[in-house]
Amino acid sequence: MLDWADGLLRSFINPYYYGVLVTIGINIILALSLNLVTGFTGQLHLGHAAFMAIGAYTAGLLATKAGTGFWAAVLAAGLMAAVAGVIVGLPTLRLRGDYLAIATLGFGEIVRITLLNLDITGGPFGLRGIPRQTNLPIVILAVIFTFLVLRSLVNSRMGRALIAIREDEVAAQTMGIDTTRLKVTSFTVAAFFAGIAGALFAYWFRYLNPSSFGFMVSIELLAMVVFGGLGNLLGSVVGASVMTYLPELLRTVAPAIAERRLVFYGALLVIIMILRPNGLLGTSSEQGWLEIWLARRRSRSPATTSAASGQVPPASTGGAGHGPA
Amino acid sequence: MKGLGYPRVRFGSRLAFGVGLAAVLAALLIMGSGLALAQQTVVIGMLGPLSGDYATYGVSVANGVELAINEANASGKYSYRFVLRKEDTRGDQVQALNAINKLIELDRVTAIVGAVLSGETLTAGPIAQDAGVPFITPSATAPAVSEIGDYEFRNVITDDMQAAQMAEYAVKNLGLRRFAILYANNDYGLALRRAFEAGVRAHGGQVVAVESYLDGDSNFSAQLTNIAAQNPEALYIGGYYTEAAKIAQQAALQGLKVRLMGADGFDSPELINLGGAAVEGALFTSGFYNGTQDPLAAEFVRKYEAAYGSKPDMFAANAYDSARIIIEAIQAVGPNRAAVRDWIANVKDFPGVTGLTTFAENGDAVKPLYILRVENGQFVQER
Repeated sequence: MLDWADGLLRSFINPYYYGVLVTIGINIILALSLNLVTGFTGQLHLGHAAFMAIGAYTAGLLATKAGTGFWAAVLAAGLMAAVAGVIVGLPTLRLRGDYLAIATLGFGEIVRITLLNLDITGGPFGLRGIPRQTNLPIVILAVIFTFLVLRSLVNSRMGRALIAIREDEVAAQTMGIDTTRLKVTSFTVAAFFAGIAGALFAYWFRYLNPSSFGFMVSIELLAMVVFGGLGNLLGSVVGASVMTYLPELLRTVAPAIAERRLVFYGALLVIIMILRPNGLLGTSSEQGWLEIWLARRRSRSPATTSAASGQVPPASTGGAGHGPA
Repeated sequence: MKGLGYPRVRFGSRLAFGVGLAAVLAALLIMGSGLALAQQTVVIGMLGPLSGDYATYGVSVANGVELAINEANASGKYSYRFVLRKEDTRGDQVQALNAINKLIELDRVTAIVGAVLSGETLTAGPIAQDAGVPFITPSATAPAVSEIGDYEFRNVITDDMQAAQMAEYAVKNLGLRRFAILYANNDYGLALRRAFEAGVRAHGGQVVAVESYLDGDSNFSAQLTNIAAQNPEALYIGGYYTEAAKIAQQAALQGLKVRLMGADGFDSPELINLGGAAVEGALFTSGFYNGTQDPLAAEFVRKYEAAYGSKPDMFAANAYDSARIIIEAIQAVGPNRAAVRDWIANVKDFPGVTGLTTFAENGDAVKPLYILRVENGQFVQER
């Protein structure tokens, strides 16, 4: 599929970087879809790797046992994950906050342990023999497709309703928004794209093992979303790219510290959270040290105009002072 | 010196002698460095978990490979200078794939020791196979590993083979007939159970009870009661030392008099620390014995301990042998990946620290297996 484009890309990209780009692309799709649930709808979801696993195993089983073609298997993987999204979403999305987090975490473990104990999935031995049909052009197309679909979704009426749920669920309900239905819909759409990403994963890695879809994978995906910025799609692209590439960068530029690269990874997250708690491109109004420091500088240096107007509203125009103070 | 009656030399001639000596040394040095420059550099890769949950295994493997390469470079016997590139997989599939791509495409390795865990080997192995890079895994025991292809070699004794040999030894050499099996319900325990049961039957013994447990269980009294009812002579435990030690103690408490047996999951000093008197006399199979009298292996244990401050385990020993096989192959046929593969495939009785090693048609090592016994709180060699 898209062999000419693949040939072109392979002609000037080293196979190592080619592989890194494929993993970055798959992670971007996962982060984008998780951002819809966690960033836009405000639901803490700790089991996203499970949807990826469902998609990966669906595609893997179809490819190895049924001989299904690539595109059909990828679509089936997305649909299967979406069905799981509805089934899990309906009961759990009535829960809020910590309870939802625990429920989704439990769901992730159930999927992993089921895959570990089924015979058809190969259990702990894993599923082998999937042909390698994912390539970089397909992944790039999938990323663009996911981005465009999610962008039009969050900019639509429904997207506004999701953001309303994130900001204040009770208020959203008062405004006539069917919160449960919308939360389940956002969960299902996210599951669909995670399933697609899982299928691309299966056709790239050729071997599936339940341990590749554990709790830590869900947490890493969440870290990508938070790092890039909750509620910002471009942020997820940046977050997934940086957090996937950073460990590889340390591998090549600093082999001596490569074994300790996770420390740097963690340190970077801590620094970002201190400086910008809403992530690199986040849209929430939370202020970190960086903003506070910038705001102080701004209020101090140009003492004549902006600072003065912000601090001492002129008595005559009372309305202006009430704004975003 | 004076007593030997050498004539006294004047300062001037001493100076001349010194200058001459310095000149000769400098000439030797230049020639030496010229030789060193002429020595071609060959990169050998190592792939495994150097961080994360499985880091102990990966670090042992990395140490074993590093020791072999440092020795080879220091010996001056080889026409190449070997360089080690270690890549961390964190025990994770995604990292394993990127790591092996880097070793092959950026570092241009001639051959690889790794990967360490079965899952990462099944992900990274096909990449090396497709690229035509020979690799020897020192530790991945999953059956499917040998199906990766002809560039894959496995220098570790598989779970099946361990259980089969223990069954044969127990029936033929110890004359035991009635066996019970208690296994951990995971891939390791399941493989051991199947092979042990088949082995016992094949040699005319009887398996009278089969029970299982889950990793992390701490109460085995129900299973042991069922086992005791069948009155077995020996109990084969397919699992790791933590549970094995507890099983031994609870069996002793129940008054169950059986010979305890197991595989390399027993191979840790913790078995004795946790099990105490209850594990006395227990037998288990292992690919390496670090208290061995074999001169080659004893020398390795000594050098490893001097370099890393701890005794080598089976992972380190297998990795050391694997790296030495690769070094000898490169020395024999040059840094050509296909030629190195052929050399490894055809090596006969390579004298390793884990015994004479030959690779079978499917790439699995055929080599001796130790049977160890717990005696007075120490591991001793039974066979």
